[in-house]
Amino acid sequence: MRLTDWQLAFEQHLLSETVNSSFSATLLGGPTLDVDTGLGIYHNAYRARLQDVLRDDFSAVWYWLGDDEFALLSTAYIRRCPSRHYSLRWFGERFPGFILEHLIAEQSAPLAELARLEWAFTLAFDAPQGEPLMLQDMAQLPPEAWPGLQVQLVPSVQQMLCHFNSVAVWRSSKNEANFPGSEALTEAQVCLIWRHRNVCQYRTLEPAEAWALVGMVTTGWSFSELCAELAVTYQEGAPLQAVTWLKQWVQDGLLQRRES
Amino acid sequence: MSTSLPTLGYGLGLRSEYYQQILEQSPAVDWFEVISENYLVQGGKALYYLDAIAERYPLVMHGVSLSIGGPHALDIDYLKQIKQLAERVQPAWVSDHLCWSRGSAHQLHDLLPLPYTEESLYHVAGRVRQVQDVLQRPLVLENVSSYVRSKADEFTEWEFLNALTHLSGCQLLLDVNNVYVSSRNHGFDAWAFIRNLPPESIRQLHLAGHMDYGDYVIDTHDHPVCDPVWALYQQTLELLGPVSTLLERDDHFPPFEELLTELGKARELGATALGRRALCA
Repeated sequence: MRLTDWQLAFEQHLLSETVNSSFSATLLGGPTLDVDTGLGIYHNAYRARLQDVLRDDFSAVWYWLGDDEFALLSTAYIRRCPSRHYSLRWFGERFPGFILEHLIAEQSAPLAELARLEWAFTLAFDAPQGEPLMLQDMAQLPPEAWPGLQVQLVPSVQQMLCHFNSVAVWRSSKNEANFPGSEALTEAQVCLIWRHRNVCQYRTLEPAEAWALVGMVTTGWSFSELCAELAVTYQEGAPLQAVTWLKQWVQDGLLQRRES
Repeated sequence: MSTSLPTLGYGLGLRSEYYQQILEQSPAVDWFEVISENYLVQGGKALYYLDAIAERYPLVMHGVSLSIGGPHALDIDYLKQIKQLAERVQPAWVSDHLCWSRGSAHQLHDLLPLPYTEESLYHVAGRVRQVQDVLQRPLVLENVSSYVRSKADEFTEWEFLNALTHLSGCQLLLDVNNVYVSSRNHGFDAWAFIRNLPPESIRQLHLAGHMDYGDYVIDTHDHPVCDPVWALYQQTLELLGPVSTLLERDDHFPPFEELLTELGKARELGATALGRRALCA
C-alpha cells in the first residue's frame, strides 16, 4: 500500500464509527498491545481531544445541556464538521450554526445564541490589541478638536443582538448558579463583548446608548453630529449625555480614534 | 545546516497555568519551551505573557501542527506564521514532530505514526528541506509515542531517524519518555533506540510522564516522570554529555513548586550522570 493510501485509510479509521478490518490488516501491535486496542487509542484520543475543546469553548452550552446531551451534540458536530484549521482554537467556529441546523427550532434558537455569545468571547480574547483611547487622551484633546472627533471600536469588540436571556444563562454558568431557564426577551438587547487590559468584558446596552454608539462607530458621526442627533431627544442636555456616554465607552476601553 | 546551537540547561514547558507565577517569582528555570500554535494569534493575554517571558528567559518554539509526513501539501501560510513568531521571540531553535497530523481534507490534531519505509523517508526528507528553506534554520524533529506500527516497515524507527538527519540536515528532539512508551508498546529495546541515534544530531531531550495500563502505555503528560524513564535519561546523558533538557506537563497541572522540584530532580540526576561520564572519559 502506498504511503498516501495508508494515511487515507488511517484518516478514515479516525473519522468513522467502525473498525476497517482491511486497514487493521496492514498494522502490527506489540507483545501485549493488539492492533485493535492500538487503533482504539488513536480513535478515542481524536474524539476526546475535540470534545475537550468544545467543552472549554462552550462551557455554558455544556452547563445548559448536561454531560450526556452535550456529548451527543458534540459527537454529531465532530462527525459533520471535522476540523479544517491547524489550530484547535478554530474548531468551534461552526458550532453555533450547526446547533441551528441540528436541533429543533424551539431549542436551537436560544442555544445557538448562547453558543454565539461564547464564541464572541473567544474572538475578543485573542483579537488584535488596537490603540484604545484613554481618558488621559481625551483630557489632552484641544477644544477645537472635539467637534470633529471621530471614533471606532477597537478590534476586539464583538456586537451581538440577543433575543433571549443568553447573558443571564452565561453568567449563571460562570457562577455555577442554578440554571435560570431560557426566556425570550420582550425587546432584543445589544450586548458587547471585548477585551480590556487582557481581560474579557461584556455589557448590555440600553437601546438609546446602543443607537448612539452605532451612530459614532458605524455611521461615522463626529462628536458634534452625535450631539446634534441627541438634541432631538435630550434638547439642551444633549452635550452632557454625549460626554457621559463617550466617557463610559473610553473608560470601558471600547474605542480608538478614527483617522479621517 | 549549522549545528552550532547552544545547550540551554534545564527548562520547562511554558503553560498558561503558570504565567503569573513565572513573572512574579522569576523561578530558577534555565529556559522555556512554548507551544508555537498557542501564540499564532493576533493579540491578547498569551502574547502579552510570551513577550514578557521572552525578555527574561531563553525560549524554544515547539510546534504540533506541521504534519511533516502528511499526504497534503505543506501549509506555507502556517510556516510563514511560524517564521514571524520566531522573529518575534528569537527562539534558540524551532521544533515539531516526526509524524503527520493532517489527512486528505481534515486536521486530525494528533501525532500520527509514519510507516518507516523508503517512500516515507524521501517524502519527509524533501519536506524537511522545504521547511528549512522557508524558516531559514534547521528544523528539530521529535520522535513520537505510537500504539500501532505498519507491517510495511523497512527500517526501525532509529534507522529511519538516522537516515532522515543524513538526508535532510534536520536535528533531533529525543523524547526519552516517548522512546520508553513505544518500546513498551512495540516490544523493542529502548536503549538500543537511543544508543543507535546519531549523537551529533540530538539538540534537545524531553522528559514527561505517562499512563501505564499494564499491557500498554499511553503518553499523557499528566504524571511525574517514572523511574525507568529517569534511568534511561541518565544513560542518555552518560552517552551524549550535556543536552538541553525539557520537562513537559500538559494535564493535571500540579502547583508550580512541584514542577520546579521535579526539574530539580532532573538537574541532580543529570549532574550525577554527567559526573559518571567524566569519570569514564
